Amino acid sequence: MSSTTHLLSSVLQRNLLFVHGKGGVGKSTVSQAIALALAKKGQKTLWVCIEDPTQAPGELKEVKPHLWHLNCDFQLAFEEYAALKIKTTRLTQLFLKNRLMQYLAKAAPGIRELVLLGKTWFERNNYQHVIIDMPSTGYGLAMFQSTENFIKLFSGGPLFRDAESMLETLRDSQATGHVIVSLPEEMPLRESLELNEYLLQNFPNNPAAFLVNRLFPEIHLPQNFNPEHRTSPIAQSMLDYAQTRSWLEHHNLRLWTDAGVNYGSIPFVPPPLENTLLFLSEKLAQELSKRSYV
Amino acid sequence: MNSTIDQALSRRKIIITCGTGGVGKTTLSAAIAMRGAILGKKMVVVTIDPAKRLATSLGLQSLSNEPTDLTPQLKAAYHKIQKEEQLDPVIPQEITGTLSAIVPDTRKTFEDFVHELAPNPASAQKVINNPIFQIFAREFSGTNEYMALERLLALFELNQYDCIILDTPPTRNTLAFLDAPKTLAQFFEEKLIRWLVLPSNQLLATGMKKALGILEGLTGSGFMTNLFEFASALFKVQANFTANLKRISALLESDSVGFLLVTTPTLETAPELNHFIQVLRAHHFHFEGVAINRSLGYLPPLRTENSEGLPHSEKDKLDQAYEIITALQNREKHVIEHFHKSTGPNLLQNPDLVYAKLPELARDVHSVEDLLHVAMALDARFSQS
Repeated sequence: MSSTTHLLSSVLQRNLLFVHGKGGVGKSTVSQAIALALAKKGQKTLWVCIEDPTQAPGELKEVKPHLWHLNCDFQLAFEEYAALKIKTTRLTQLFLKNRLMQYLAKAAPGIRELVLLGKTWFERNNYQHVIIDMPSTGYGLAMFQSTENFIKLFSGGPLFRDAESMLETLRDSQATGHVIVSLPEEMPLRESLELNEYLLQNFPNNPAAFLVNRLFPEIHLPQNFNPEHRTSPIAQSMLDYAQTRSWLEHHNLRLWTDAGVNYGSIPFVPPPLENTLLFLSEKLAQELSKRSYV
Repeated sequence: MNSTIDQALSRRKIIITCGTGGVGKTTLSAAIAMRGAILGKKMVVVTIDPAKRLATSLGLQSLSNEPTDLTPQLKAAYHKIQKEEQLDPVIPQEITGTLSAIVPDTRKTFEDFVHELAPNPASAQKVINNPIFQIFAREFSGTNEYMALERLLALFELNQYDCIILDTPPTRNTLAFLDAPKTLAQFFEEKLIRWLVLPSNQLLATGMKKALGILEGLTGSGFMTNLFEFASALFKVQANFTANLKRISALLESDSVGFLLVTTPTLETAPELNHFIQVLRAHHFHFEGVAINRSLGYLPPLRTENSEGLPHSEKDKLDQAYEIITALQNREKHVIEHFHKSTGPNLLQNPDLVYAKLPELARDVHSVEDLLHVAMALDARFSQS
């Protein structure tokens, strides 16, 4: 087993797994594929989306044997958390129905992120694996940042203690894994290095694993082929597009290798006409297993 | 016939591009601004871009809170490609317009804004030093979005540009941006702040007292002290803030502003667009149209001789590559047909709306010259389906 496969497969095995990346890199498909591959091994797995507007809020359902899916919703998680922390139902209701509290919950900086993160953190006890499809980079980072902020803001009390134990779990490389997904394009590759730096600052003993998604086939290129010399960034033909893309992806990935990043890769699966997420995830799950990542 | 981007540039003073992350919104916004400059307008592109994407696309180290004039680079690039390529006849021979770019410093804008609104420097500083404000000013609760709009209003009132392109920050969903001012405004709602500003005296209803008591139990007293202080500081700027917010809303609702959706040809496109139109209508904002980016439909179909004479393993890989591209093209066609059926008369053939298809680029944009090629492609050629 190569060192890449080793780190990646170790990270993908952890109890709590955060799947990070810029918007449009296929985070949902990849995170679902990881969850699917784990569930196929008979391990009870929860795949979590954060406030996906296309699904019913807070819905928890069994999608496949051993695979559960939760669309984590702020409002429901907030109520659940309040009920857990405030001893009586009467006081919980009084608190939740208070207009000022409702506004503070909605508008106060960071509450939303903290509660959503808290909910996924809490679920880790109920499953062997909790795989979180993180919102795209900026907002996703805000989720971690909020935990730090709360520790600074609060002087004590249950929220402070919960935020602290959450951070402890996130730092623990036995319990939590971070995987950064990117496309082999320049901007996402660059941004994922920045994201990695941020994660390392916050969780120095818990390095992230890297996965490149939708890797184009490496095709034969004419001698001295270099699309950086072309005048227009617009392709002239299908062959031109394929050659340029193949050359560029290879070239772009040097951004990662030069930074000392070892990464796993998932090939480009031709999309079906009626693309169901599950269809693609099944294909990717097979690729993950074939490569012994899961 | 739908209208072209050129027509949109002529009828609006502000075009706001909306879309989820990864659709190429930043590059496209800059290209639209450049297109305006080529057509002789004074243009500025404003992008909320923590990742310096726009700077990289322009081959620059960084951009700043103040406008960076890109006109000289644009003229040089234009001169160069004029010699090499046959250009669209609608494009003038000489560039008479100007192009600038701004990447607002959200934090600085926010601090300036607090200073401007506060009755005196001491109370401004009190807000800025409050730990809740400091977190607030960073990433959360629509602050970035709201500050982008603040900046937009200021630029508009300066009246130095013919058209401003605002590239909205990447959001989880397309429309989070539109709700941002409202979310922020809730914080400033007078009645709510008043509750927090009142000293803990008998004026508070028992229910409110209890709720605050529970909150204190959950968060500790240090947080409550900061919260009360933050609220009383906000209370002082509240009236001015509300007035500003009204001016921003009035601007966004006016005919000067058009909202353009940037998207890619995937199955989510049609529902996303319909939702976008609905929400704009609810806000009384003007829908400008849709730009479908990263289209592969323009690539001519495959010629078989390309793979002749290659060894087997190489031929397989090339076939795989063609299979992927063809699958993407087929899906694109399917998605666009579906999209036309579902949006129909709302969008197609509507002369007031833009419907543009833009090419997927073979490589990233790295210079003003690269961007110029994209700006040139913003014509009818790629929009024919």
